[in-house]
Amino acid sequence: MSTIRTLEIPKWGLSMEEGTLAQWLIKEGSAFSQGQDICEIETSKITNVLEAPWDGVLRRVLAQPGDTLPVGAVLALVADEQVSDSELDAFAASLNSGAPQPAAETAPSPAVTTSPEPSAPAAAKPAAQDAIPAALRGETDETQVNATSHALRLAKKQGIDLSKVSGSGRDGRISVADLQAAITAGGGSAELQARAAVKAKPRHTTQDDSQIPATPIARRLASQLGINLHDCRRSGSAGRVSRADVEALAALRGRGEQSAARTAEAVEERAAYDSQPLSAMRRTIASRLQESKRNAPHFRLISEVDLTRIQALRREVNSALPSLKVTLNDLLVKACAQALMSVPEMNVQYDEASQTIRRFHTADIAIAVALPGGLYTPILREANLKTVGAISRQLHELVTRTKAGTLKAEDFQGGTFCISNLGMFGIRQFDAIINPPQCAILAVGAAESRAVVHEGQIVARERLTLSLSCDHRVIDGAVGATFMQHLQRAIETPSLMLVEEARSE
Amino acid sequence: MNNSFDVLIIGGGPGGYVAAIRAGQLGLRTALVEKTHLGGICLNWGCIPTKAMLHGAEVGHAMRHADRLGFSVGEIAFEIRRLVEYSRSVSQRLTDGVAFLLKKHNVTVINGEGRLLEKGRVAVRGIDGGEQEFRADHIILATGARPRALPGIDPDKSHIWTYFEALNPAALPRSLLVIGSGAIGAEFASLYNDLGCDVTLVELADQILPLEDREVSALVQQQFAKRGMQIFTGAQIRSATVNGDRVSCLLKTADGEQTLEVDRVLCAAGIQPNIENLGLEALGVEMARGFIQVDDRGRTNVFGLYAIGDVAGAPCLAHKASYEGVRCVEALAGLPVAAPVSADFIPRCTYTRPQVASLGLTEARARASGREIRVGVFPYQANGKALALGEPQGFVKTLFDAQSGELLGAHMVGSDVTEQIQGFGIAHTLEATEESLHQAIFAHPTLSEAMHEAILAADGRALHQ
Repeated sequence: MSTIRTLEIPKWGLSMEEGTLAQWLIKEGSAFSQGQDICEIETSKITNVLEAPWDGVLRRVLAQPGDTLPVGAVLALVADEQVSDSELDAFAASLNSGAPQPAAETAPSPAVTTSPEPSAPAAAKPAAQDAIPAALRGETDETQVNATSHALRLAKKQGIDLSKVSGSGRDGRISVADLQAAITAGGGSAELQARAAVKAKPRHTTQDDSQIPATPIARRLASQLGINLHDCRRSGSAGRVSRADVEALAALRGRGEQSAARTAEAVEERAAYDSQPLSAMRRTIASRLQESKRNAPHFRLISEVDLTRIQALRREVNSALPSLKVTLNDLLVKACAQALMSVPEMNVQYDEASQTIRRFHTADIAIAVALPGGLYTPILREANLKTVGAISRQLHELVTRTKAGTLKAEDFQGGTFCISNLGMFGIRQFDAIINPPQCAILAVGAAESRAVVHEGQIVARERLTLSLSCDHRVIDGAVGATFMQHLQRAIETPSLMLVEEARSE
Repeated sequence: MNNSFDVLIIGGGPGGYVAAIRAGQLGLRTALVEKTHLGGICLNWGCIPTKAMLHGAEVGHAMRHADRLGFSVGEIAFEIRRLVEYSRSVSQRLTDGVAFLLKKHNVTVINGEGRLLEKGRVAVRGIDGGEQEFRADHIILATGARPRALPGIDPDKSHIWTYFEALNPAALPRSLLVIGSGAIGAEFASLYNDLGCDVTLVELADQILPLEDREVSALVQQQFAKRGMQIFTGAQIRSATVNGDRVSCLLKTADGEQTLEVDRVLCAAGIQPNIENLGLEALGVEMARGFIQVDDRGRTNVFGLYAIGDVAGAPCLAHKASYEGVRCVEALAGLPVAAPVSADFIPRCTYTRPQVASLGLTEARARASGREIRVGVFPYQANGKALALGEPQGFVKTLFDAQSGELLGAHMVGSDVTEQIQGFGIAHTLEATEESLHQAIFAHPTLSEAMHEAILAADGRALHQ
């Protein structure tokens, strides 16, 4: 049976709403096998590769690199060579019109179905129904028959009344095989069994397999092949999963083969510059900040704070405790956490799609860390609940891990507020772009000695300029200004860190 | 910004330079401070040059015994300076190699003596006396150790040596007294004996190679004695006095005191950590029995300060320092680190003739632990390859926990055992049981077959015994 199937934007995480096609890894018209890399899709958080769920031929590419599409949107059509271009056109048109695909009109036979099945509503009943013997047709009263759930679902889909089928299982339970036999006996045809066989492929357990005894080689191989050790037989010594067991399962799943070589890039002509394709990270930064600048109306609030007391506090702590080396940045994180708790309207994320503001109970503060390849923003969680010492230790570790590239996804996802510090470059003041879904970012300049009027005298004091960028869609000027007041107070009167409530209401 | 690093390491020995390479591999901005030569004692005055010298001694030994294989060598002439030059050239080559590796991994090498100014800040005094300051998020101390001084014995470098002089002698002394029979003392005793020197070996403990299994030490002592060495155990040198070109040593044993006259004395009674002038006191760095106290990831009690290798505690071995260096850097970089290897299972190699290699518990310690143990011993006399090499002295001993089948200890003495001990190390690291080792195939004819037989012997299943 010739079929047109679709490749769609997958849902990779709870919060994933849409994805951007980064690049196709195979060309239109080429065949691919199950497990092969099809294309790269970027989300706000990661860039991931879409693997082929089955074998097929990429007949029609519908999405171009750069297209941002909602989850479930069709990226491409997959069909055998027998399917004609006109059938593909018709199918694509039906997708666009949003109507149920008019398969019967464009092509009486062979039948066209979409896949995966869940996306095929009952209305898009396939022409395959023609092959069901009339004697079997009808609607099943599910309360009256004893059948496997799989058989029930297939019967419903094919318009079969199961009370007309006899079951061979225990207590006369009807299986898919029984259903198939009844159709064949009635002179019809259906590919229920073939589907059932596909469904019966090896298990894909996802639970933690670290407890499963396995040889070191088997464990590594399994992780490379994306195989869960729960699914492997254990033929090794002492009941362990051996390499052969993992390879056997991999062969069964047809994933052992090398994926086809990627298409070579066309050679650039010699020019007065080097062309560097954007790295996945660069692309993420570019698209996110572009989106932020385009969608979030930024406004900025600038204030100058006095550091005399907070620096004295820092020096006192550092000279008293060998086990701590508190930096100004550590103290700024704490001060921001406290100000966020005092002004909860600032401690928010904006979910544009659902038009909601998420107000957080803890201050999860992102810290911008510059690396040669781009910018990372690891997050220090629950800063409001932590002592300055704990913040200092964790930030120290987080920054080194960022530089060493050992951050995990959860280390940089989420957060409500970001701190970007360019003080070490001697920058006095700058404006930062908000990193969505966060709604504000604090740009920190260099701490420096400045001439100021203090108690009626012009004196040299250590000062710092702070610039806050807010997303005006959800944070108003007065809210941001109140936050800056609290922040200034926390920095200039650091003893308040000892006494202020660390929790929001 | 050029004076600021993610990781700065003080000391370029096998702990420090390896840590620096690993940090460089991880993409961290890394600096290595070294005051004399990259590679540290190991490459310059320890492991490597001694092996080059011992290679010479082995060739001498082979030539002296070549007649039984049909060779007439005649009288053998020997110039020790040529051997020293060879040994120095080997060290030089490796030191250059380290410099290349550091460059390859983008490590900035700073020549000079490092000292902590405060948390995250280091001053380096260059050879020209000028001082420069550096900042680093993580500072790793890898300053190593030096020969331990003994009361009443003042190494004057001309007559009373430490390993530096023993590796670079102007001429071959006629007689040499070695104080201490740990790995360093025993190796030099064996070396100078093979070069034709009268060697006296003095050990405070009641066996030479005091950390090794008693049976192993006994065999080495017997072989040393057979080669004409004079050995005193349970003995002490109370004083060593230079008289003209000779040294008078006051030896105290259970039988009383006596004076020994020798050409040279080598002081090899342990080592002490290099902790001075590092600024440790001012920072409040906690110490433990003279060494810097660290946790299993090399962290000291001070923020951002770490220590690895000899300065962080025994066993003072190059491969222990390298292991700790890699572990320390990976941990601070946020990589997962496995449970630490217990100090007992760091392999120990002594390049005497016969060689000694071991890991895990000695039989005495295994028995004292109260476990039920199984012991397997297999002699080289029953190993075809050992006989063919004309080296039948030696054996392999294995200790297994009778209940769990875990390898508790492996002790090897004989030809080339230092190259084989890793087999037991791998087995232990992978938590192999005696059962799984029974199934491994050991090639024939090799010395390593004795390992297999010793494993089988622990179950009473040795095939050639």
